[in-house]
Amino acid sequence: MSSIYFVALPLLFGFATPLLQKFGKNGVAYASTGMQVGLFLLALYLMATSFWAVEIISINPPLGISFVLNRASLLFVFLFTLLMMLFSFYYLGLRKTDPFPSENKFFILINMVLASSIGLVLSSDLFNIYVFFEIAGISAYILSAYHKTPKALEAGLKYLLTGMLASVFLVFGIMLVYIHLGTLNLAVVSQTFHTLPFNMKMLISLLLFIGFGFKVEIFPLNFWVTDVYEGSSSLINSLFSAIVVKAYLFVFFHIIYLAMPASDFAPFLLMTGAVSMLAAEIIALKQTNLKRVFAYSSLGQVGLIFAVLSLENSAAVAAGFFIVIAHSVAKMMIFLSITSIEREHKSVDIATLKELNSPFLTVMIVLSMLSLLGIPLLAGFVGKFLALKSFAMSGEFVVLGVIIVASLIESIYYFKITGNLFEKGERRRRLSLSKSQKSVFVTLAVLLVVLGTLPWLFSGYIQDASLSMVDTESYVNLLMGGLK
Amino acid sequence: MIEALFNYFNQEYVIRALVDVGSMTLFFVGFFGLLTQRHLLKIFMSISVMEIAIFLFFIGSIFNKTYTAPILGDGHTAFVTMNDPIPHAMILTAIVIGMAVFALGVSFAIEYYKLTGKTDINDINEMREK
Amino acid sequence: MNFKRDIATRTYSGFAIAALLILTILNILLQIGPPDIQRAGDQLLAMSADDGVANAVTSVVVYFRGFDTLGEIAVLFIAALGIGLMLSAHNRTTHEESNYILKKASRMLFPMIMLFGVYVMIYGHLSPGGGFQGGVIVASGVLLLLISREEFEVPHSVISALETFAGISYVLIGLIGLLVVDKFLGNFLPNNISQMGMLFSGGVIPLIYIVVGIKVGSEMSMIVQNLIQRSDDD
Repeated sequence: MSSIYFVALPLLFGFATPLLQKFGKNGVAYASTGMQVGLFLLALYLMATSFWAVEIISINPPLGISFVLNRASLLFVFLFTLLMMLFSFYYLGLRKTDPFPSENKFFILINMVLASSIGLVLSSDLFNIYVFFEIAGISAYILSAYHKTPKALEAGLKYLLTGMLASVFLVFGIMLVYIHLGTLNLAVVSQTFHTLPFNMKMLISLLLFIGFGFKVEIFPLNFWVTDVYEGSSSLINSLFSAIVVKAYLFVFFHIIYLAMPASDFAPFLLMTGAVSMLAAEIIALKQTNLKRVFAYSSLGQVGLIFAVLSLENSAAVAAGFFIVIAHSVAKMMIFLSITSIEREHKSVDIATLKELNSPFLTVMIVLSMLSLLGIPLLAGFVGKFLALKSFAMSGEFVVLGVIIVASLIESIYYFKITGNLFEKGERRRRLSLSKSQKSVFVTLAVLLVVLGTLPWLFSGYIQDASLSMVDTESYVNLLMGGLK
Repeated sequence: MIEALFNYFNQEYVIRALVDVGSMTLFFVGFFGLLTQRHLLKIFMSISVMEIAIFLFFIGSIFNKTYTAPILGDGHTAFVTMNDPIPHAMILTAIVIGMAVFALGVSFAIEYYKLTGKTDINDINEMREK
Repeated sequence: MNFKRDIATRTYSGFAIAALLILTILNILLQIGPPDIQRAGDQLLAMSADDGVANAVTSVVVYFRGFDTLGEIAVLFIAALGIGLMLSAHNRTTHEESNYILKKASRMLFPMIMLFGVYVMIYGHLSPGGGFQGGVIVASGVLLLLISREEFEVPHSVISALETFAGISYVLIGLIGLLVVDKFLGNFLPNNISQMGMLFSGGVIPLIYIVVGIKVGSEMSMIVQNLIQRSDDD
């Protein structure tokens, strides 16, 4: 059992796709989905047996690269493989009527997104993180511009330009770390970062903040996000908001906890997250395009996660993980619903919802919006409640107020959408979903409800995960000892 | 006279200052281009210039002029008094990745131009702004 | 008038912002120079003596940091995929005949360029060079052919087969390393130090670099061909 399979197998699949094409039109699709099911089962098995390990690549750390599979990273690996598997099942249903052009390239790209997101979460070496950063980025740029319409190309161009800029600053930061600390391994950086003179620490932190900030979508640097979400197809948006952003968040905070624990930057990060959420929710009020509304909603939730993770204690991180899971599941449901709606009605304006004739989809959309809002009995409530509790316990009452105001604003436009869904008016013909698509929605809905009503079943694991994320001592010992 | 100039420039701190100032000037040129140019391809080129400036800065900072290149040959038989090979490997990787993303960006720009005829970044507004 | 003033303001403000940023960074960099510490690379340099490979940079790129190289190959692969998606090389119309000198000279130069490229790939572990460098040289030879002959097209099936074979073998070498020596991309072929400087040395390292060279060469050729396509409404 080795965590390298999670990264090596999708890469192998991507490289081997021209071979798999020989097995007929559906060969690539079924092979890809089968492999993703296999990876999900592997993740499930690893979670069930409480497996953790350091996977050594080529030579021992701290000189070499290694993958660290502790409870926190395993949680995220499990989440990513689960969501990608459900995404593939949905697409298998969609491709009977509306397949993507050059489908084989599409499968390669989504598998590369999976491999790089998992690699980002597992890796313990700064330059390796940069390489995975680039793989995830480049697959996302192409997926964004996939349909080659002017809108999609504009989205791809914007994403690519901001991504290139982010990489420049990130590489600059990593190179400065190597020049001054002589290492690229996160454990050694963790031990020696505080010995740097103050100027250099500020410079490196600023560069890394700008580099990651573009991708983590926080306030001053998220001007590109909504245009990209509007231009890409909604199917791709579900991948972006459910998987890619979460991987970047994990890496960013992983590096912060290791290199700068309990630093003076924490209040700054806290404020950035809170301002980010407030600004996103306010701007969302005026939107009439469904994709843009939910893009702003994503920005708001990501701001909340950012704020709560910057508190750096185990309870806050557990709250953050709960919100991550709830948000990923809910956003995946929403964007997959929008894909079905767009396919049928050819428009994503909010007014289109008045014509929607599918009780199934209506229930799904309302359920996910309620979860995002934080209504009790759904997963979002647990996350938001724990987050507010952490803010109160840390004495951050201003941020608490900001978050509550932002949530109230969020509820305004969610109710507007719900109103459109239930408005009495002319309905089109019934929207039909294939069996695989329906089962995907049902699984996601069940996850939301189960997490919301029985959180104590999972809170033990999530507590352990958050402990292992905040516990930098054991991480460093693990890597410096070079254990397997 | 030339000797004195040569010896002056061979000192450690002068070399370091030259590397820093030179690469940061190049970075400035790239950044300035990024902020002021409007043609898509010129913006890509500016970002590329910024990347190159950083690579120059990195190699220049790690360089130790009394050591030699990290390869055996020309009489060297052991790996001692050689320069650090990790920056070489990192920059190799970063150059290839930068070039790949640049080529992809150029292909996006070409396709966009073929479809709409626009190259000015201020004119790209296919989507209604908020 | 307004237009000129717009450009002037933007230029000056851009200059000011950029200068501010760069001067602060430069200030910090000049204050704190690179410290004289023992870096990870020096330790790797000492370790590469056990590897049996004469070129320390190659052993770092392929072996000690082989996973980064795998990621880089993936990036190139995806970029070639994306460029092929955006600009399919189908609509290539004939253009004017190229220069006589170009045509004759390219017939002489092309085999030499290819030979040099392959040499750089194969001897990557003994002299400066390697898979990436050799692959790019091979692609430049292909570019020469594309420029000098109008009807030349790189055969898609050949390139695709080469690329697939190279990509699969890289990951398979890694997985075999995982199964045999319990480390992904571990060195599982014999690599005596006595062989240093000979062609067959370093175990799995020259193999990986050749595979990398094939992949980079074929991908760059595809990228170049897609970018050189001309369409009807040019």
